[in-house]
Amino acid sequence: MDNFSNLLDGFSIAFSLFHLALMAVGVLLGILVGVLPGLGAPNGVSLLLPLTFTMDPVSAIILLTSMYWGALFGGSTTSILFNIPGEPSSVATTFDGYPMAQQGHATHALTLAFMSAGSGAMFGVVVITLLSGWVTEFALQFSSPEYFAVFLLTFASFIGMGSGSAWKAVVSMMLGFACATVGMDGISGNMRLTFGFSELVKGISFLVAVIGLFGLGELMQTMEEGLRFDGIHARIRIRDVFKAVASMPGHWLTLLRSAVIGCWMGITPGGPTAASFMSYGLAKRFSRNKDNFGKGEPAGVVAPETADHSAGTCAILPMLALGVPGSATAAVMMGGLMIWGLTPGPMLFIERPDFVWGTIASMYLGNVMAVVLVLATVPMFAAILRIPFSIIGPLIVVVCFIGAYTISGSRLDLWLALPFGVLGYVFKKLGYPIAPMVLAMVLGDKAEDAFRQSMMMSKGSLSIFWTNSPLVATIMVLAVLLLSWPLVSAVLKRFRKVA
Amino acid sequence: MRTTSGVLLSRFAMEIATALVTASIGAVVCFGSLEFGTGWGDAGPQPGYFPFYVGLILIFASGVNLAMALVHHRERLEAFLTTEQAHRVTAFFGPMFLFVLVSSFLGVYVGMILYLFCVMVFQGHYPVHKALAVALSAAVANYFLFEVWFQVPLLKGPLEAMLGIH
Repeated sequence: MDNFSNLLDGFSIAFSLFHLALMAVGVLLGILVGVLPGLGAPNGVSLLLPLTFTMDPVSAIILLTSMYWGALFGGSTTSILFNIPGEPSSVATTFDGYPMAQQGHATHALTLAFMSAGSGAMFGVVVITLLSGWVTEFALQFSSPEYFAVFLLTFASFIGMGSGSAWKAVVSMMLGFACATVGMDGISGNMRLTFGFSELVKGISFLVAVIGLFGLGELMQTMEEGLRFDGIHARIRIRDVFKAVASMPGHWLTLLRSAVIGCWMGITPGGPTAASFMSYGLAKRFSRNKDNFGKGEPAGVVAPETADHSAGTCAILPMLALGVPGSATAAVMMGGLMIWGLTPGPMLFIERPDFVWGTIASMYLGNVMAVVLVLATVPMFAAILRIPFSIIGPLIVVVCFIGAYTISGSRLDLWLALPFGVLGYVFKKLGYPIAPMVLAMVLGDKAEDAFRQSMMMSKGSLSIFWTNSPLVATIMVLAVLLLSWPLVSAVLKRFRKVA
Repeated sequence: MRTTSGVLLSRFAMEIATALVTASIGAVVCFGSLEFGTGWGDAGPQPGYFPFYVGLILIFASGVNLAMALVHHRERLEAFLTTEQAHRVTAFFGPMFLFVLVSSFLGVYVGMILYLFCVMVFQGHYPVHKALAVALSAAVANYFLFEVWFQVPLLKGPLEAMLGIH
């Protein structure tokens, strides 16, 4: 029952007028970035991060996580009303959400989406609450080799479990590592890869990369497709809201299945996007109304939304507990943690329980608030998309560049955001995954430091990664298995074809 | 799949070009890391070790992608960009590039006003007074949000110095 008393302490920290106000602001800003094309959760959090540098870490993380919830909700709103997924993870919601809205059931679809998203997130927070106490138990076993093994496992899982080409994931990740090594080396103090540019001494900020890759890149893609909103007028009818809420218990099996999928994909870095697609696919396979999927089947909204949000929520746990983010947004938040002077990892649970449990408690409150706020403000945010894109588009561009500049007040960052934008656009069109690059930029330094510190411990012998503890050996074996998985599966496929 | 009519750039060409670019970035990284020793010292790897192998893996993986492109995409006539799409992308990217260029000399506020105004007038075909109103109010809103409320200074240029705004 230790977790329970910790959680109560957390509530006493999170439950203040200031924090509730921050949550409301975060959620509303989040819905805004979720609704606007080109701005998504990773980007929104990056833009907001420089404003939190002076805040207390608990307040800062509450603002950022609330923005994350809001962005997830905003993404589903545009999927249903405009057939435009505001986030990659809400693509699956368009399959049945938009047809429902076309048939005049917009309120029903939206309410279902928000309620299932809320339930998914709640499930995720409960899982986090239960697992967190357990994290502290093996916290003290962690030293440099273990950290390196965990990082390697994360990198390996992004390569081994990605849906696209593994080699493209490798390229993307190595580019991220290369960017992370630019600047002063933390161990030797040498200036690496700066090629004589003094602006590069402080390194290339992953925030600039996120703003370029996700923000500008996505905008360019939106523009290329020739933006056209076929919006459905959103008027929330209270009676329909209650009807939809009343129908929720009927979806219990879909809810439960999707929440479990989401948790699994969130904790292992499969990410919300993969979770929502997988959950949609399974819901369709097990449904009695298989033929109605894609034509406005309510379960087709419930499944991806639940999984999306439970994965998004669960991605916070490995970020706090191991310093391993389960999604691009979590990676950005983890970067924030380090900027605020906190070290993510198991020791955080021992040294800063107020931060950890305050965050977890705020996730309960923030999600409830997000469901209420998003229902109340849908018509307003839907109206934003009726503003012509020749106004909204440039405004988003301006916001992105201001965000890039505010990171460290450097002119170079304005220029760096441009090539990252082009890179994001090209990569997305050619099927290069972008998340591994962000992950490598955030974790690159830490992984390298952990590796070199381990080497100092072992006097240059690699065997430390197998012999230091049973824990490190297990993680290393898992990592190697995951890394070789694309090769193994390719060989198996060929073998089956021959046979 | 789109047909090849009006194709400006094929997917095949773009796959090749991207692989070549990523490989050359790898080469630059390898070259840059030679400065600090890429070997294995007394206390494990030297500072250049990690970036050097990152660069090597980058070159190798780009090579595999290049080979994959040659195998998979040469026969398929997929488009990366059609002429129409290219027009839309340049119409968006061009002004954005100019915005950054102007901003880095004249400050973000002046850049923002010019950018919003020009895009609205020339691309959105709005009347001048409307465009001016939107552009100016965006600058004022950003000023209050960043400089006054959050106390985060944005990049300023000679105009602000002349007007005495800091």
